[in-house]
Amino acid sequence: MWTETWLFTKRSLMTTIRNPFSFIPNLMISVFFLLVYTSGLSSVAALPQFGGGDYLNFILPVSIVSGAVGGAGGAGQALVRDIESGYFARLLLTPSTRTAIVLGPMIAGMLQLFVQTLLIFAVAFLLGLSIPVGVVGFLFTVLLALGFGLAFAGYSVGVALKTRNAQAAQAGTLLFFPLIFLSTTFVPKELIEAEWLKVAATFNPTTYIFEGMRAVLTQPTIDWGALSAGLAVAGGMSVIMVVFAATNARGALKQK
Amino acid sequence: MIEVESLVKTFGDVPAVDGISFSVKQGEIFAFLGPNGAGKSTAIQMLTTLIRPTSGSARVNGFDVVKREKDVRLSIGVALQETGIDKVLTGRELLVLQGRLFKMTKREAEARAEELLSVVSLADAADRKSGTYSGGMRRRLDLALTLVHRPIVLFLDEPTTGLDPASRIEIWKEVRRLNQEFGTTIFLTTQYLEEADELADRIAIIHHGKIVVEGTAEELKQTVGGESISLVFHTDAEARAAAELFGQAATGPSLVFELRDYTLTDVVRKLDEQALQPERLTVKQPSLDDVFLKVTGESYEGGVPSVD
Repeated sequence: MWTETWLFTKRSLMTTIRNPFSFIPNLMISVFFLLVYTSGLSSVAALPQFGGGDYLNFILPVSIVSGAVGGAGGAGQALVRDIESGYFARLLLTPSTRTAIVLGPMIAGMLQLFVQTLLIFAVAFLLGLSIPVGVVGFLFTVLLALGFGLAFAGYSVGVALKTRNAQAAQAGTLLFFPLIFLSTTFVPKELIEAEWLKVAATFNPTTYIFEGMRAVLTQPTIDWGALSAGLAVAGGMSVIMVVFAATNARGALKQK
Repeated sequence: MIEVESLVKTFGDVPAVDGISFSVKQGEIFAFLGPNGAGKSTAIQMLTTLIRPTSGSARVNGFDVVKREKDVRLSIGVALQETGIDKVLTGRELLVLQGRLFKMTKREAEARAEELLSVVSLADAADRKSGTYSGGMRRRLDLALTLVHRPIVLFLDEPTTGLDPASRIEIWKEVRRLNQEFGTTIFLTTQYLEEADELADRIAIIHHGKIVVEGTAEELKQTVGGESISLVFHTDAEARAAAELFGQAATGPSLVFELRDYTLTDVVRKLDEQALQPERLTVKQPSLDDVFLKVTGESYEGGVPSVD
């Protein structure tokens, strides 16, 4: 099982590296978010509700999470390509477990995300990022990004297997918008004015990822409550989505 | 090697495979012959563990296709109708990965890849992305991928559909070689009467999800009668005279009858004795077309090889 998973992961990584356009646009979007929001909205941080933190630290999670969602969506699209080329059927005919077959692209997506997150951090440091709690903040942020990325990769793989159709899998990533924007994306919850948006933000799992990251990025001391909530949401969603993907792997043959 | 009992697969309410039973012996080439939509692919997908039967059972190499699917997959090689190749990887990379997935060590897999690349004459293209291969090269790579783990049963789903005649003959040669040299049992589906006739030791004709008749090509043809002879004479009188010799009736200058009571030599000798010289003499074998027509009441369609 582990050997197979590794083989599938390696293969997915090779495919990704040979298709640079599968990840470059997404990375650009994340960096773009970071630059635009920081320059355009940074005066918001002067409001008392921010508690004196730097807006760059506040918005960095948005850039990382949007990169994670976009990057992880690639895992599903890679799988649709395999189904369409008939290669997926060939993989199903090997003695490998279904789980290993779907985990491969998901883990590859997660590793891609890891590199991407490091690059976003690098840009942020160039913009003058400093993390009050130090390196721990960086590590937890990366961990949260990976957990959320794995969950979204599982979601995109599951949708790909269910629909077996590139357009549908692409449409599945439309979830990106509500996930990213119906949340405490630009301002803390106390500053959200519309009541419905506050409610949406409360139910949106992304909010807990944002809050978890902010718990270790914006404050002089770590807010352990928010961090644990974020980690729990990331972990729980990953498990659910991996199961969702694996249960859809059976019978996902190309339909004529 | 393959034992199938009352296998059924329904999609919704529609039975794609409607209770088929048959068995294939070790070392045999067995063909499922039928037009498009007869249920051939569905049957092969059940036998190769890709889809689960609705009811009935099937064993391949002694393993139940539902309960022991991993063992089944280790025993079989499957070439589906459409090639299964990742275009981004090279031929060699695909072969090595395939070997590794079938539990070979890295070194074994590399050696096996090298060997197969030369068998299917792709050694020169081994390190190019398979997306750059021609259609024929892709088929050969696909076949090599199917053979990596030295399967003892080979499933070929319409192996020559859409191929030009030259490539078709290439594939036939390869299938026969695998069967003769390695004793590989081969199950193939085809919509070409000619292909089943040419390759298979035994044929099952499948129609609307059911096996309508099964046997060797000879046996099947005998069900519609033996060879027939057709004679054309210069004059109607000659034809009538000849017809009398064999207790038949002539139609104008021609005479057609089944070679049941007489052999070809008998016919020629008798004609010669009477100094009757036909202008033309042809012997016609009954064909699988005739068999299909007889058992289904429909004429065979889709049997003409076409090149896409």
